[in-house]
Amino acid sequence: MKEIFLLILEIFKALIEILWEKIKYVLKILWIRFFGYEEIPQEKKEAVVEWGVTGEDEWPGITETETKEPPEKERAVSPPSAIPDLPDSYGENQIVLMQRDPLCLFCYWEIQQAKIDNFLKNLSTLAYDASLVLRVYDVANILFDGNNANKYFDSVLVQGAKDWYIHLEEPNRSFCADIGFLTSDGTFHMLTRSNTITTPGMCPSDITEEQRVEIEALYEKVYASMDIDAASHVPVPESASAKWQRLFSHILSSSETC
Amino acid sequence: MKKGYLSLILHAHLPYVRHPEFDAYLEEDWLFEAVTETYIPLINVFDNLINEHIDFRITMSLTPPLISMLTDGLLQQRCLRYIEKRLELAEKEIERTNNQSEFNQIAKMYYNHFHDARYVFAEKYQRNIITAFKKFQDAGKIEIITSCATHSILPLMNNNVNAMRAQIHVAVNHYEKHFGRKPRGIWLPECAYEPGIDQLLKEEGIRFFIAEAHGLLFASPRPKYGIYAPVVCPSGVAVFGRDLESSKQVWSSREGYPGDFYYREFYRDIGFDLDYEYVKPYLHGDGKRSNVGIKYYRITGKTNHKEPYSIEMARNKAAEHAGNFMFNREKQTEYLDSLMERTPIIIAPYDAELFGHWWFEGPLWIDFLFRKIAFDQQTISLITPLEYLDKYPENQCAVPSASSWGYKGYSEYWLNDKNDWIYRHLHIAADRMVALARTYPHTDKYSIQQRALNQAARELLLAQSSDWAFIMKAGTMVEYAVKRTKEHLFQFNKLYNDIRANTIDEKWLCEIEHKNNIFPDINYCIYQ
Repeated sequence: MKEIFLLILEIFKALIEILWEKIKYVLKILWIRFFGYEEIPQEKKEAVVEWGVTGEDEWPGITETETKEPPEKERAVSPPSAIPDLPDSYGENQIVLMQRDPLCLFCYWEIQQAKIDNFLKNLSTLAYDASLVLRVYDVANILFDGNNANKYFDSVLVQGAKDWYIHLEEPNRSFCADIGFLTSDGTFHMLTRSNTITTPGMCPSDITEEQRVEIEALYEKVYASMDIDAASHVPVPESASAKWQRLFSHILSSSETC
Repeated sequence: MKKGYLSLILHAHLPYVRHPEFDAYLEEDWLFEAVTETYIPLINVFDNLINEHIDFRITMSLTPPLISMLTDGLLQQRCLRYIEKRLELAEKEIERTNNQSEFNQIAKMYYNHFHDARYVFAEKYQRNIITAFKKFQDAGKIEIITSCATHSILPLMNNNVNAMRAQIHVAVNHYEKHFGRKPRGIWLPECAYEPGIDQLLKEEGIRFFIAEAHGLLFASPRPKYGIYAPVVCPSGVAVFGRDLESSKQVWSSREGYPGDFYYREFYRDIGFDLDYEYVKPYLHGDGKRSNVGIKYYRITGKTNHKEPYSIEMARNKAAEHAGNFMFNREKQTEYLDSLMERTPIIIAPYDAELFGHWWFEGPLWIDFLFRKIAFDQQTISLITPLEYLDKYPENQCAVPSASSWGYKGYSEYWLNDKNDWIYRHLHIAADRMVALARTYPHTDKYSIQQRALNQAARELLLAQSSDWAFIMKAGTMVEYAVKRTKEHLFQFNKLYNDIRANTIDEKWLCEIEHKNNIFPDINYCIYQ
């Protein structure tokens, strides 16, 4: 008897819970209908900006207070799979310069320990207080031979660093970088040298003279690509002529300028 | 006599996301949302204009990853499934809001929207909406331009010219396969340009590209007409500059149209608003609440209080804003025309997904704009960049400045402390790919060696997608972006090692060929 009573009680409680959920839902709808107001949950506001945005523009509905770091978004259906590790090293000895903007470069490097050890061994006693340094050269408008930079500056690298952001004082210059050891006698010993990067200007050019490329200059380039001397009077082979006509038929005009 | 030309350019791109190993994958929804909310509404706008014999011109970039996904059988099937689920939900919404007339008419709007999407997608274009865009191009109404193979930022891979060349070459081949001819223009990813890239474009027969405004304004020599006429690079490729004035009117939520209080509020989606059990069948398999594409409220204001959406008011606003945009372009070109010796061109590029997805009324705005330009004025006309070059083949020569349309105008968004770690790996992989192509200049067709080399090229291209670095910086689906970068690099490096050791695992190769099947016709020799 007691068990039957408890069973009936459980059933009654379950029915009440279901009914209460329905009542809450109806009340919510009525609230929205008459007051049109519901707090937007924070996780909704923080952007589903997974595509379509260039990064500098804001989108409808986002207010300034909502541009903080978004929480973890919806996860994929798939069970979490192991993300493979990438190599710590590729066995290279190189330093690469990249341009972030006219006033900032990024460089990364990889120097094998064996090379460093050998290098330090050759430095002998000077190795004891040698500093690992990134030397950045301004090589604008010169043919850099390692010693004739317009100027340079050094950054002492923290131990274990594998990359660096280089902040520049002015745009529209060219740079390359060495990584090496600076010894106490002031000598810089290069380990390896980077590529050269030319940064753009940040203002309208001072050159205002309007330039045009004459059509003959374009002819010369086409002929050069066919190993034909455009200045000669050798008759143009039929195939070369046809190729030239195909290349330029869509841009030729009676004005004969580009 | 027109006083100005307006060139609207829509850049349509999504990262290549395809997961055949799962029945459904959250990130694939990006494609399905774009199809139903942006691409199909735009197709309808263009179809209607053509049917009514209203002339228009627009330029669209359709990137290779996007075209690949839109023409993939598995994703087409899943897209249809997505649309049909939304249609089912819209039917239920009509029933649920039966006694709420304000919401009921909105529910019916969504029902019609998804019903039409189903018809256009499944029946009218047989699941391949690329054929729609090809039809518009063949009719002379739109110019479709390409972009890099996997939307990579070329200046950030400039230490390997072969890799840059491959990104462009693969894109050009892919375009030719789908549109029957080579592309005549290109949308450089993020408009990221540096001097020398134009030479690579020239090699592929590309005639023009678009640069951010300061790319042209800081060109050398200084362009005589600023951004209101193209200049020609020393290579012979023309470049057009983005107009900031017209861009701001659409992009900015503070000053631009999409933030208008009568437009639909993006963040009031029933996937979050309604009872969980009710929406659960339309969420992803993990059950977390997400957007389902049905929203009932308008922006209303910079407040959490949201009023019900009014279809008619929003429509009126779209018409008003189209008229305003046209009026401003008329005034702008009248002023420019008084200064210039030639008719100015205004380049107005936008992400295509702005229209319809973020800005629900966007496609309607375009429709109103094109009709108003056709009938309500005589000052400006629509044009494509190539048509402008045909009218003005004589242009000033200049070297554009390195630039992009991204955050702060250069590469910072893709090169910062959130994503700078990827570049050492990507650069090494590119060097290795070139080495492989040169070590194995000839391989037997369909041999396992050739297959492995081609797949290595695919994995490299997919790893080079700028979307991963973008997402890492944006901080949204970071885990997914990191996973994609690492997986493609891991698979590339394994192929590299296996090819050199002649220990290619054919079973594993088949698996990744099936999973990462972009560019089926790729030839690794492009890296030689």
